[in-house]
Amino acid sequence: MTNIWLGLFSGIAFGFVIQRIGATDAHRMARSHLMLDADIPRFMLLTVALSAVGLFWLQAVGVGRVLPLPTSIIATGLAAVIFGIGWGLAGYCPGTIWAAAGEGRMDAIFALLGGLTGTALFAQLHETLIPILYEPTNMGQITLTDLFGNYGVAVAALVVGLGLCIWAIGKLWGSADHERVDLFARRTASKQAVDK
Amino acid sequence: MELQSRQRIPYWHWVPAAFALSGIVVFIFATFGPPASSSGFVSTLNGFFAWMAPEYAASKAHYRAIPGPGSWLFTFVLGMAIGGFIAGRTSKTIPMRDIPPIWQQRFGESRVKRYAATFFAGFLILFASRLAGGCTLGLFISGSTQLAISGLYFGVVIFAVAMLTTRLLYGKDAGKEDSQ
Repeated sequence: MTNIWLGLFSGIAFGFVIQRIGATDAHRMARSHLMLDADIPRFMLLTVALSAVGLFWLQAVGVGRVLPLPTSIIATGLAAVIFGIGWGLAGYCPGTIWAAAGEGRMDAIFALLGGLTGTALFAQLHETLIPILYEPTNMGQITLTDLFGNYGVAVAALVVGLGLCIWAIGKLWGSADHERVDLFARRTASKQAVDK
Repeated sequence: MELQSRQRIPYWHWVPAAFALSGIVVFIFATFGPPASSSGFVSTLNGFFAWMAPEYAASKAHYRAIPGPGSWLFTFVLGMAIGGFIAGRTSKTIPMRDIPPIWQQRFGESRVKRYAATFFAGFLILFASRLAGGCTLGLFISGSTQLAISGLYFGVVIFAVAMLTTRLLYGKDAGKEDSQ
């Protein structure tokens, strides 16, 4: 019972934040993927880095539950390719679909219906596809800790890696920040004009 | 003055927004476990089939693995929709539209075309998520937070393919002139 309320509360908070950053706006997502707006990808990567540090702390004090998903070279990779095509086409992913549908965006409501159809088809084919695509190249629940040999070192490596990606995205992508600066300059300029 | 209101960035800055979202993610790890949203689709269907065709739901591994609507997984996605609704109603500046302008510019104003495309895309996204076992949240964010190779691998490929798809779809020069 508690779980139902915790889920609802977490969902409301999550949906609110992703709407405010503009992740539920397919237009902004498309601009992110066209390398014209760096905010969403940097937001996502920084969220992962901070969450990893937070989870490290939770583990240290013995709170919470973890369950890393296994890596299947073929199934995870193939799924990512299909997912990427859909993500690029719609500008929505499974989480933003719910929030954008709640917001009242009609195209997200159709994405939600398509998503239910896709889920139903996969559930129908699960017994056929998992043994063919998933199991043969299933590497198990491997993590960076297996690679680095120490949980703390692995978290640090992830944070540094993501930090570099965030820096590179800031360099390579256009950014709304520049426009913020422009806006500030313009506002100051127009204020001075009014003062005069 | 007119220029100013047109140029305003209506969104939160990405740094405080990331702190807020990671706070929520860590809260979820502490109170439930790894967050997931594509599982909410399975949970919804599980509820539907348990009501319409209980024998079918009981016979499929995918529905046996994920609980029905009386679960965290379902109330979380329901909450996402409520959160999106509240955020949308309380923001006067974030634009809300049924068809993204960048799409409209490239493919015209046909609602049927856009809705058909997002239906098909939603189909692909969820089919793929269920094959991989998670989505942007359930596999990339949640998995990478736990340092899972699956999450990082999935994340790199979805970003690369989505960027390529978007480029092929809209062309090289799309969307450059506007700020939101």
